[in-house]
Amino acid sequence: MVAEARIAAVSPDETLEACARKIIVRYFHQMMSYKDGVRVGRDIEFVHDMRVTSRRLRAAMDNFADCFPKKPFRRHYKKVKAITRTMGAVRDLDVLINRFQKTLDNLPETEQTDIQKLIVHLQREREEARKPMLTLFTKLEETGFETQFLEFFVGKV
Amino acid sequence: MAKAHKISGVKPLGSYRENARIILPEKVEEVYTWEPFVRDAARREELHNMRISIKRLRYTMELFRVVYEFPEECSKDAVAADDKRFAEFFAIIVDLQEILGDIHDCDVVLQVLTDYTCQSASDAVVLGSLSATGKAGIDRLIDQTRETRKADYKKFLEKWDQLSAVDFKRKLLSFFLT
Repeated sequence: MVAEARIAAVSPDETLEACARKIIVRYFHQMMSYKDGVRVGRDIEFVHDMRVTSRRLRAAMDNFADCFPKKPFRRHYKKVKAITRTMGAVRDLDVLINRFQKTLDNLPETEQTDIQKLIVHLQREREEARKPMLTLFTKLEETGFETQFLEFFVGKV
Repeated sequence: MAKAHKISGVKPLGSYRENARIILPEKVEEVYTWEPFVRDAARREELHNMRISIKRLRYTMELFRVVYEFPEECSKDAVAADDKRFAEFFAIIVDLQEILGDIHDCDVVLQVLTDYTCQSASDAVVLGSLSATGKAGIDRLIDQTRETRKADYKKFLEKWDQLSAVDFKRKLLSFFLT
């Protein structure tokens, strides 16, 4: 699993609001750093890392929600949630495919064919599951999500 | 999936340290709202929700770790002791999350295998090619996964009982509040 981002720049005696901004921005940058690898789609770890970081980001946003104006905060939160959701569908299939591939060696040859058919079926589903995720990425880029998110949480880009 | 509980009493202009004492206990309470269901292995949804709440607690602990690395009482010994205790509590939370994760993985696998069997059967009827041997591998996986799930659940319950016996919740809350 992706390593926990250490929140080194935060001091316990700073205000929650100041810390919240730093933490949210840090997780956001970390999450977006995996996007290109996810888009390529060859290494399944990019999807895993981006999804886990999006969950850490959401946990931070849940905890620190009261530090920000409600309406724009909700708007940004919903988009992060959509990222987690679309990636979840792909990740779940990656995990299943990986798990079933590992079981192949322990089965008699005749039964391996059954599992191989299942794996092919899941790989097709995975290709379908990637589509909404890639569409979401494109939509977020077209609407300037990254810049708006950072403007809101940092105050400047 | 159940939503995260709304945290009340957060003070945006209060210190990070002060807010750790408000937020962390609420995350612990959220985990324990699922405790009434842990003795029923069939409560898949509730066990899944408990796993999610534990994950939220874990991530919140990561966020506030700095508070326990640099406690107000700053003698060298006190710092080391708090840091060590934090690491011990954290390891238990991660362990619980992982065991519940294994249970959830089995539930997902069983669902996928069952759905796939039903879908294959209905396709085969349409195509007139239903074969008993065509799903032997799937049936075997279903059996294996059921056994794994049973063992994972037993492991979880043993762990939960051990923690209850040593009053884990009270100790964790007391650590967060001091």
